[in-house]
Amino acid sequence: MIGKVLIANRGEIAVRIIRACREMGIETVAVYSEADKEALHTQLADEAICIGPAPSSESYLNMQNIISATLVSGADAIHPGFGFLSENSKFAELCEQCNITFIGPNSDVIRKLGNKAEARNTMVAAGVPVIPGSKDPVYDAETGAKIAAEIGYPVIVKAALGGGGKGMRVAETPEEFENSFKTAQKETQMAFGDNTMYIEHFVQHPRHIEFQILADEHGNVIHLGERDCSIQRNHQKMIEESPSAALTPQLRQKMGEAAVKAAKAANYTNAGTIEFLLEKNENFYFMEMNTRIQVEHPVTEWVTGIDLVKEQIRIADGRPLSYSQEDVHITGHAIECRINAENPEKNFRPSPGTITDMYLPGGKGVRIDAAIYSGYTVPPYYDSMLAKLIVHAKNRNEAIRKMRSALGEVIIEGIDTNVDYQYEILNHPDFVSGNIDIEFIEKM
Amino acid sequence: MKLQNMFKKTSSRQHYIALKSARPEVPQGLMRKCNKCGAAIIAEDVKNGYYICPKCGGYFRVHAYRRVEMIADEGSFEEWDKEMEFVNPLDFKGYEEKVESLKERTRLNEAIVTGKASINGNPVVLGICDGRFMMASMGHIVGEKIARAVERATEEKLPVIIFACSGGARMQEGIVSLMQMAKTSAALKRHSDEGLLYISVLTDPTTGGVTASFAMLGDIILAEPKALIGFAGPRVIEQTIGQKLPKGFQRAEFLVEHGFVDRIVEREEMKEVLGRILKMHAEKGFADTDVKAAGRMNAGFADAEREMSAWDRVQISRKKNRPVGTDYIETLFDDFMEFHGDRYFKDDHAVTGGIARFHGMPVTVIAQSKGKTTKENLDRNFAMPSPDGYRKALRLMKQAEKFGRPVICFVDTPGAFCGLEAEERGQGEAIARNLYELSGLKVPVLSVVIGEGGSGGALAMAVADEVWMLENAIYSVLSPEGFASILWKDSKRAAEAAEVMKLTADDLKRLGIVEQVIPEPEEFTRETMEPISVELEVQIMDFLEKYTVMSPEELTERRYRRFRNI
Repeated sequence: MIGKVLIANRGEIAVRIIRACREMGIETVAVYSEADKEALHTQLADEAICIGPAPSSESYLNMQNIISATLVSGADAIHPGFGFLSENSKFAELCEQCNITFIGPNSDVIRKLGNKAEARNTMVAAGVPVIPGSKDPVYDAETGAKIAAEIGYPVIVKAALGGGGKGMRVAETPEEFENSFKTAQKETQMAFGDNTMYIEHFVQHPRHIEFQILADEHGNVIHLGERDCSIQRNHQKMIEESPSAALTPQLRQKMGEAAVKAAKAANYTNAGTIEFLLEKNENFYFMEMNTRIQVEHPVTEWVTGIDLVKEQIRIADGRPLSYSQEDVHITGHAIECRINAENPEKNFRPSPGTITDMYLPGGKGVRIDAAIYSGYTVPPYYDSMLAKLIVHAKNRNEAIRKMRSALGEVIIEGIDTNVDYQYEILNHPDFVSGNIDIEFIEKM
Repeated sequence: MKLQNMFKKTSSRQHYIALKSARPEVPQGLMRKCNKCGAAIIAEDVKNGYYICPKCGGYFRVHAYRRVEMIADEGSFEEWDKEMEFVNPLDFKGYEEKVESLKERTRLNEAIVTGKASINGNPVVLGICDGRFMMASMGHIVGEKIARAVERATEEKLPVIIFACSGGARMQEGIVSLMQMAKTSAALKRHSDEGLLYISVLTDPTTGGVTASFAMLGDIILAEPKALIGFAGPRVIEQTIGQKLPKGFQRAEFLVEHGFVDRIVEREEMKEVLGRILKMHAEKGFADTDVKAAGRMNAGFADAEREMSAWDRVQISRKKNRPVGTDYIETLFDDFMEFHGDRYFKDDHAVTGGIARFHGMPVTVIAQSKGKTTKENLDRNFAMPSPDGYRKALRLMKQAEKFGRPVICFVDTPGAFCGLEAEERGQGEAIARNLYELSGLKVPVLSVVIGEGGSGGALAMAVADEVWMLENAIYSVLSPEGFASILWKDSKRAAEAAEVMKLTADDLKRLGIVEQVIPEPEEFTRETMEPISVELEVQIMDFLEKYTVMSPEELTERRYRRFRNI
């Protein structure tokens, strides 16, 4: 039985995990870098051990020191949070070798899902839809046209050695194909001295829809519905919500079943997330599986009433899931805004520094997961996320109104934040009407 | 607000006796401690990372078979003399038991593994010492295995590479151990006399009798970074002289500085470097003879009408932005690999030399090197070589002779270094020796005066089959300033002296001292080097085509006549 957990992370997620442990009566050990002596997670845990200098590579990514800290403190499990070592199969393997419970899937599963090609093959074998594409390299337009017809238009022609958008062309229709293929190939030849091409179905204006799953060590797998994370900037999510305005109950069931199938195919255990791209015509494609707790897990917690972190610890302890699929009901609507120390007017430049004054909102249906306090100095070494503001209401419109109201109450003085920028998104007519896709921020 | 110790701690539930029988612990062998920086590191990282500490970059000692894995092509290693019968020449008590227990523990037969392998496709005979076996000290069997391997290499006409690591002679075998030094050296001498290549790689630690025999006899001596290399151990020296030794004493870098190691090679690059050296010694002739004739400059490019005094040219030859020796090496050759040191005292940075390819043909390139910055100039002593520089050049020339490589020299020096130490170490002797040896060198030699050809300091690298000059280079018995001060007791009359000294390229061509004058553009800098390098490329190609077909007798006879007739 897990009696003491070491949290190999920092910031709000470390605090989130410590809180879950406290509620479960499990003792906690925080690890911290020299820059995080004053951090909330360091102070809140029952014990704290310094694991190295400020740069992550020497502290939060320092496997040996974290393992040593675990042994010294007498903890029997490590919760890796997200980022840092959370999806590092080698670290998970080290834990296994040292007989430390790693709160997450086993190292083999992490390794396999971390390999894009292998993960894709697993999904294809399990019948989970992936973006259709040519299996073999294509060298001429004629063969290409045949393959494109099989895949279904629109298609994108890509250079095998490609990168940075070079040697890429979209063909919307069969008529356009020959021209697109030849242009892309010529560009590829010029840029890389190679003419090997691949053809893939072109996913147009997709939404980012991900499904939360829970899997125990006894073969039970359930999904907890979806999160719509289409509001992204440079692949960084900014706002997440559940449920998605784009999913009908039928589609939810279909995608949920695919997610469960994916998790089973990967022999997955613990909490995980399956990411899909969803087209307007309701076609969806597997992208990747995240083998850890997600930043945006609170929206799922709120619409399902399930504490994901506690569930993670229970699973790691070998206990069966506390819920079956029938127990999972989506109630109301939850939205999360990430509050970052960054300046949107200066190209989102990080803004570390001391928080001189602070006020955070509260009240019914408002949740704050944060690691900041008045007088806290945000160090420049790590991710700029300060807090997550999550609201829950009866429906999407009410949730949006609640989020606006809550954002309007946030006061963080001394450093720049993206609060006003988030407020603008919440007021954008397309966001309000639910008409969003992953290009939303770009077009805003 | 300070948060220290303000939160209540978790009220833990009553602790049950853990059902899980095994508590977390690090299993044996999963982690190890770096003996250099003390950090705990994951053993597998070390193994997958060339046995280098991922924290401090320190080198762990490597077992012989792992070394084979690191440098030999997979599956290519064929071990020789795996079983050797134990000998105990002094009937030393307890020796046999010790060797037996080591054999069991290390699964080695003795302190060296020998055999044949290929490195990036190049066949080679390998000898690799293993420090776990009595600190790889050299007794009868070690000496015997080396001698046999070298003899077989001589027979099969193969190069030899030995990775040395040793505490020295094996005390338990007394004088017999001492004789192994002579035995291994003698075997290597025969190997060398056949014109075969021997590369010695020194690893931590290489000391005692091994340093005083096979380890230091390589045609090319490489070393791993920071390896301890010395004849007497540092502790012994300290006790004898009663002084503390300086930091870095007897480390590989120290040996490079003192001229005994050609270059330091990082473990990650060892295979690649060895492969390149082997390949360069296995090949001869051009890979292609296409020169960029299109870029060749027009005859009219250098305006013969340009009015320029000799003094003007002296000043141009000394210009700071004029291309230096290393620029020519870089532009005209491929795969240049610099070799350091004279094997006597020092690595003189005023001379840069090594092996390279010219259109695929392996050549030895040696340049007197001015610096591009003041800092570099200080390091290179403004291209004024010390005796060590000339001795390094000669060593590389003799190496070229052994392996039949043409030698190409770039001359650019105000003169041989004039200083106390230079005299102490025999500046005159060093220059004389070069003139003497170069006259009989059995491979083609070309010298190009690219800037200042300062007296004997220049001549020591210009006893060649042909000597060329760049249009504004100068070549003289003395600097114009020195000339004026000796003859007229007034160094200010240097400009006047320059006129009468006949030191310009044109003058020297007329006097038959040089064969070719390479025209220069008006503003000749590193940036405008292209036309000159193309011209030189064309000319060097012609030179090599002409001279590489000559017999050594014909070459040396012609060279003799060339100077005999002046």
